[in-house]
Amino acid sequence: MADAWWVWLAALFAVSFAIGVVAVVAGVGGGVLFVPIVGSFFPFHLDFVRGVGLVFALAGTLAAAPPLLRNRMASLRLAVPLALSGSIASFAGALVGLALPTDVVQVALGATVVTIAVLIWRAADAATGIPEADALGALLRLRGRYQDPAERTVIDWRTHHTLGGFAAFAGIGFLGGIFGLGAGFANVPALNLLMAVPLKVAVGTSGFIISIVNSSAAWVYIHRGALLPALAVPAILGVMLGSRLGARLLARTPASVVRRVVIAVLLAAGARALARGLGVWT
Amino acid sequence: MSPENLAQERYARCLDAATRIAFAASLAAFVVYAGGLLPSFVPLEQLASLWHLPVDEFLERTGAPAGWEWLRLLGYSDYLALACVALIGTVTLVCYLAILPLLVRVGERLEAALVAAQVIVLLIAASGALAGGG
Repeated sequence: MADAWWVWLAALFAVSFAIGVVAVVAGVGGGVLFVPIVGSFFPFHLDFVRGVGLVFALAGTLAAAPPLLRNRMASLRLAVPLALSGSIASFAGALVGLALPTDVVQVALGATVVTIAVLIWRAADAATGIPEADALGALLRLRGRYQDPAERTVIDWRTHHTLGGFAAFAGIGFLGGIFGLGAGFANVPALNLLMAVPLKVAVGTSGFIISIVNSSAAWVYIHRGALLPALAVPAILGVMLGSRLGARLLARTPASVVRRVVIAVLLAAGARALARGLGVWT
Repeated sequence: MSPENLAQERYARCLDAATRIAFAASLAAFVVYAGGLLPSFVPLEQLASLWHLPVDEFLERTGAPAGWEWLRLLGYSDYLALACVALIGTVTLVCYLAILPLLVRVGERLEAALVAAQVIVLLIAASGALAGGG
């Protein structure tokens, strides 16, 4: 085992690169793929995997955000209030997650990940209408305009159900903090289906919000000694390089292909985490 | 350019630069760590036989610190690498601080207040005051 450390770190880099590409295109932080995959198939304890998972999702989304902000596929004005709600909840979730027994977290993680896969599989089609802004959305001026290069159209958007959006981001942030996930899997439907943000802006802004939310939760793991740089650096380098590539691919990759891959990986990793937590397959 | 786009552009520019710096520093520190150029607190060979342990047991077995105590160990390559990884956790804070004066100057008071609140949350998280790690 001691001689094989570099093999595990090289494998961690390769897996992180692949997840980085898929994560941006799928609008997830990557933690939702990283934590179940690495927690199930690598020899590292889940405490360290969750710590790296948060920094992993953070690094990937930080790397992808500048081009998304510049081409208006991510909205700063939309992200600021939602990220504030999410980051307070995520910080609390990280404290709870580190206090729970590992088996409980493994089972809860497995169940959550399998549920996410089913939700993505059964998700309704993207919202495309432009509803009237609600009072809170109007007050915060949560609206914008972006040019879709694939469709060659200019789309004006504004949010509704804004208060529900705040509540959703608090709940998502709490779960993300517990499991060390970016929680983009839930951000995108919350933005698109609940708040009526156009799908591509929802995907871009979801990643950007993760970069803000995970900044607070990551410190919990750093202060608890649960962030091993030997694991974090290969994972971060992999996801940063992968997500730069993913940001370029976002505009032209068929969403259906990414969706099928994400569902398959989540089902496999979720089942493995469940089996591990229940002591069926350790 | 509208004030909103101006802030978004400034954030993107700052984020790009800060992320590149954190990325480069993490890579350099890891090369020092993996290459054995500085002594490490927990050598990689030893780490591979300990990384399966829960964090509390790992800290007990290695004598590794929690909270901000690790700052005293920056002479070790693994903690130098941790410091560089921690830089990534400060990127958002730096970017928020970069746009805050701009938002105040252009009269975006509500957004400036939300940004200031987020800065406070990030500072509390980074301080470790509520994390129990000191």
